[in-house]
Amino acid sequence: MMSTTASHGRAMMLPSPTKALQHHRPSILTVSDMFHVRRTEPRRFRLVVTATAKYKGTKMREEKLSEMIEEKVKEATEVCEAEDRSEEECRVAWDEVEEVSQAKADLRIKLKLLNQDPLESFCQENPETDECRIYEE
Amino acid sequence: MAVSTIYSTQALNSTHFLTSSSSSKQVFFYRRHQPQTNRSFNTTITCAAQQTVVIGLAADSGCGKSTFMRRLTSVFGGAAEPPKGGNPDSNTLISDMTTVICLDDYHSLDRTGRKEKGVTALDPRANDFDLMYEQVKALKSGIAVEKPIYNHVTGLLDAPELIQPPKILVIEGLHPMFDERVRDLLDFSIYLDISNEVKFAWKIQRDMAERGHSLESIKASIEARKPDFDAFIDPQKQYADAVIEVLPTQLIPDDNEGKVLRVRLIMKEGVQYFSPVYLFDEGSTISWIPCGRKLTCSYPGIKFNYSPDSYFDHEVSVVEMDGQFDRLDELIYVESHLSNLSTKFYGEVTQQMLKHADFPGSNNGTGLFQTIVGLKIRDLYEQLIANKATAPAETAKA
Repeated sequence: MMSTTASHGRAMMLPSPTKALQHHRPSILTVSDMFHVRRTEPRRFRLVVTATAKYKGTKMREEKLSEMIEEKVKEATEVCEAEDRSEEECRVAWDEVEEVSQAKADLRIKLKLLNQDPLESFCQENPETDECRIYEE
Repeated sequence: MAVSTIYSTQALNSTHFLTSSSSSKQVFFYRRHQPQTNRSFNTTITCAAQQTVVIGLAADSGCGKSTFMRRLTSVFGGAAEPPKGGNPDSNTLISDMTTVICLDDYHSLDRTGRKEKGVTALDPRANDFDLMYEQVKALKSGIAVEKPIYNHVTGLLDAPELIQPPKILVIEGLHPMFDERVRDLLDFSIYLDISNEVKFAWKIQRDMAERGHSLESIKASIEARKPDFDAFIDPQKQYADAVIEVLPTQLIPDDNEGKVLRVRLIMKEGVQYFSPVYLFDEGSTISWIPCGRKLTCSYPGIKFNYSPDSYFDHEVSVVEMDGQFDRLDELIYVESHLSNLSTKFYGEVTQQMLKHADFPGSNNGTGLFQTIVGLKIRDLYEQLIANKATAPAETAKA
């Protein structure tokens, strides 16, 4: 099961590891406040959402991408720290990390925000293949 | 020798658009079924030459501006989806009116090839600009193309997919405006300029949940990418008709979380079919805080700026929004004070924003300006079509 920390719409907050669900609302109106706004502490809450893959093939792809990210980060770190490092090799290595990180993020967006499994139309045509087995956690 | 293609279609019970890939003479055979009434009705078949409008969108991390694209295409109606029944790793999106092509598909070197040559994907040497130019030109002239597919998962170039010429073609990626020939094909171009601080904050949000990443790896990745980005991607912004610049807010001192954003829409003056958005009085300089007696905002509020300016030696107009929308009425209030939005009805911007309320940026300038740019593109498209429409051919009536 893959869980991500999601930021939806208004609650665009970074996860704050030390605080749990919090809801402060001190209302302070100061005379010098030219905004005439009610000063409220921004709401902090953390949404943990599971990106759900519908088909087994997509689930496998998610996991493969996660593995690749790990692998490539390690590789890039090694290449760039090496004694005889070359500028180009170092850049190419981090570019690969970026590529797979973005691919993973795109997949996450498709599944979570857009509710589109990339295998949807393929699996309509070929429901018997292994990839198209409905994924159950 | 005469060459002809026969198309058959379903019953034309209402206004219907048939597009074909050529603008040559067409003959329509039809049989009309009508109820036994004395009503007479008109059948009008209008032939318009295929006119593909080409839009370029440049951004770092190439394609995958999925939410931006969906905002853009949603203005035309219909959801943009990957081509049905094709390669599941296709980067292409298709809706009724628009087709979005990812320029990564024109990589001349796959992941292994780039590693061997020591070039990143940002480097022009990894991309086939000749093919890009040929295919965009073909699509623009109404000819279908077999476009390669770059698979971001495997890092390989997959078998090509057939792309039909759409009404609106969007090419998005790292280099839409890099090659001069491709640039000349664009009817409108947009550059998404994310400042380093915001880029860093976004990448943290994107990657921290991954077990392979840490703060250090994200930092290192951004740093390593900078030289190529500055050399090859960044210079394209001088060619863009519209630049959406995303910066950290000035409303909260020392804010580095990148959630409250200051977004600037920089619009080139003098672009055909494009009239820049303005606030209150065109060409003047305005600073506007909508929160006050009529509108109560929550912290940190909203601040707008509008002014003429100069950008890379071009005259531009800049509309800037700093802060966040918290409620629907703030959004509609702001919309009612902006001019030249190219909306078809009052509240259209708000409606579009609400349609995608769960997309990132829905509560700040990024969503707002992306939506506005979508409306501007619609306006540009309609003006272009109006100018190029050929005379309608009317047929017999009952």
